[in-house]
Amino acid sequence: MKILIAISSKEYSEPTLDVGMKISRELNASTTILDVGEKINEFSMKDVDLANEIIESWNIGRPGMDVLEWAYFYLIENDFIDSNAVEESFSKKILHQKSSNRAEIHLEGLTLERLNLILRNGDIIDELRDEVKTYNYDLMIIGGSGKRSMAHDFIQYIESSIFIVNNFNPDKNYRILLAVDDSPGTSKAVKYGVRVSQAFGITVDLILVSKSGDYNEDSTFALERAKKMMRRCGIKTEVFLKVGDPVLNIVEAAGEDHIIIMGASTQSPLAKFFMGSKPLNVIGKSNCPVLIVK
Amino acid sequence: MLGLSARSISNILFWATRKKWLILSFLLSLSSFYLPSPEGLDSSGHRILIIVAVTLILIVSESIPLPAVAMLILIMQVILGIDTPDGVASSFMSDSVFFIMGSLMLAVAIVSQGLDKRLALFVINLTGNKTWRIATGFLAISAILSSFIGEHTVGAMMLPVALALIKNAGVGIRKATNLSTLLLFSIAYGCAIGSIGTPSGGGRNVIMIGYLAEFGMAKISYLEWMKYAYPMLLLEIPITSAVLWFTFTPSQKVMDSSVRKLKVQVAKNGKMTLDQLLAIIIFIAVFLGWVFLSPYIGLGIVALCGVFLYLSFGLVEWKQINENTNWAVILLFGAAISLGIQMKETGAALWVADQILSYLQIFFQDIGIVRWFTSVVMTGLLTNLLSSAATVAVLGPIVLDMGGDPIITGLMTSIASAFAYLTVVASPTCMIIHSTGLITSSDYLKAGWKLFIISVVLLFLISHFYWPIIS
Repeated sequence: MKILIAISSKEYSEPTLDVGMKISRELNASTTILDVGEKINEFSMKDVDLANEIIESWNIGRPGMDVLEWAYFYLIENDFIDSNAVEESFSKKILHQKSSNRAEIHLEGLTLERLNLILRNGDIIDELRDEVKTYNYDLMIIGGSGKRSMAHDFIQYIESSIFIVNNFNPDKNYRILLAVDDSPGTSKAVKYGVRVSQAFGITVDLILVSKSGDYNEDSTFALERAKKMMRRCGIKTEVFLKVGDPVLNIVEAAGEDHIIIMGASTQSPLAKFFMGSKPLNVIGKSNCPVLIVK
Repeated sequence: MLGLSARSISNILFWATRKKWLILSFLLSLSSFYLPSPEGLDSSGHRILIIVAVTLILIVSESIPLPAVAMLILIMQVILGIDTPDGVASSFMSDSVFFIMGSLMLAVAIVSQGLDKRLALFVINLTGNKTWRIATGFLAISAILSSFIGEHTVGAMMLPVALALIKNAGVGIRKATNLSTLLLFSIAYGCAIGSIGTPSGGGRNVIMIGYLAEFGMAKISYLEWMKYAYPMLLLEIPITSAVLWFTFTPSQKVMDSSVRKLKVQVAKNGKMTLDQLLAIIIFIAVFLGWVFLSPYIGLGIVALCGVFLYLSFGLVEWKQINENTNWAVILLFGAAISLGIQMKETGAALWVADQILSYLQIFFQDIGIVRWFTSVVMTGLLTNLLSSAATVAVLGPIVLDMGGDPIITGLMTSIASAFAYLTVVASPTCMIIHSTGLITSSDYLKAGWKLFIISVVLLFLISHFYWPIIS
């Protein structure tokens, strides 16, 4: 399992990093923490690089390093890095430029199998898409951005599953709301639901929504399979059968104390682009964390 | 659909949304190619304007890399039959491009000497510990240095000095305060107003000098340029400093301990090395070359002499120069200058100039005002969207075709292209201070609009009252 956690600043990304690292620990996943810094236009790219080089020689730490520094100390505090193995201060840690817009900090004393701290510069969608594509992540974890258009682009163009840590409160006891339907994405979503439920020891609510009131055979079959799977894994479940608009029902059932898990839409990319999709609308309307499984 | 997998469709969609401006410019050029040429413009002029429009769209939208834009300009010139491959190649390289290349390389050579700590000490000794004096000192020194060695060099060397001071002041370098905004803008705007002072202050000045010579309109020497432009630079220093101070008045009026810490930090550096001394001597030689030799051998060749000396004395390695020189900019400006020359030769520049004159004369009766408005206000605004050198490369031939004294018009355009106050992309120094994360795009407007207006008015006064006396 490979997980990418995208952070942007200490102020906004604490819940994202917290949830992300918990999932990584439970699943023993190979994890990358990534910050995407300001996009530098091409006219000034070399001048900014030159300025950054001098800034580093003054021991000030180049822009974006502060976010990684904060993440680094979070990792030490939470025992992802063994503090006894850390000999030098963060300011002495050098960013290894792997390519023109991707740099990596070398870490020692890791307690996870693999853990990376990466700094990229550029347009956020371009950089995240490239990172996921090049390094084959299974899951990307990112904070709830205020911009709906950005969520649209994530869902449309990023090939991994996506967990949007929207409005997350660490003190709250969350339950999982697993949306089941007759689409092929459901079985994958159920598998993820089991893993997250076991990782955090939380219960699962299964929801099946029918627009008309009759539940077709495929969807009831999917629900039965999900129930069976939960039972086999010893997870407590409750089932909700609803009638009406799927998006509204899912959002309403989730409220603020659920983590919604659902399969990605299987519509064609063109249809999704022009008409949107169920997962996209759920992200737009809900006020809780959402995991879209691809 | 068409046997394509969902993944390929998704990839195509991604490409199309990212490259929408490229697609749009392609459609635009195709459709306008088949439109009849407007009256007064022959077909090659018509085609060159299509290339200009495509270039502007692609530079502003940043949808393809700059070197690709440069190549597209050259390719289109040949494919649309405007010039032969050899003709395009010879208009691509010129002394102006030599100068841009040489000055970017000189910047790398100078920055790599580790003179920044010495510069810091010099600045601090000069200004003392009062915040307003430090800010003014930053601005004045950035302006004067960048007028000779170019703004990117100065911006890169001054930035750490400011960040070190801010960090030592204990306000944290990760949270924007009035103090950080004031000091960083003092550098960026200082570099901008400095770049007008001499021809070597910025590539665009040399592009303008190149056009004046190429079109056989006028010759202007290094010292003559300074005579025209330097007073404006000196007047702008106190004005800009005051505007910045009153827009971003910091709560710390004295930076006593911060300055002391900086001095300790810098003092560890020891005495000046022989290499550093040699580096400074070579730069002074380059400066003297610009002043005394450039009328005979050109500004670009003098800059290349400097690079040759830095390399021969082993003060900088080629690897370093190669890695840190922005080749994209060199290619783009080469292509943009070649486009400018074609605009002049095909008569497209004259046609656009006539259109602008006849349109603006509805609003202003006096042709002098129209000329002034175009060369100053339009250049100033465009420079904040494109880059200053690209603006001069494209607008230069047009404003020079508007009549009037070419030296006056050329200088006004070059100077107005330094009014890069309003946006992040306006100049490399604006981008450098933005990249620290301490300056947001909206900060540029706070003081920028005041400075833009003041600079336009000041240039108007100087060009109307001072220049006629000396020319």
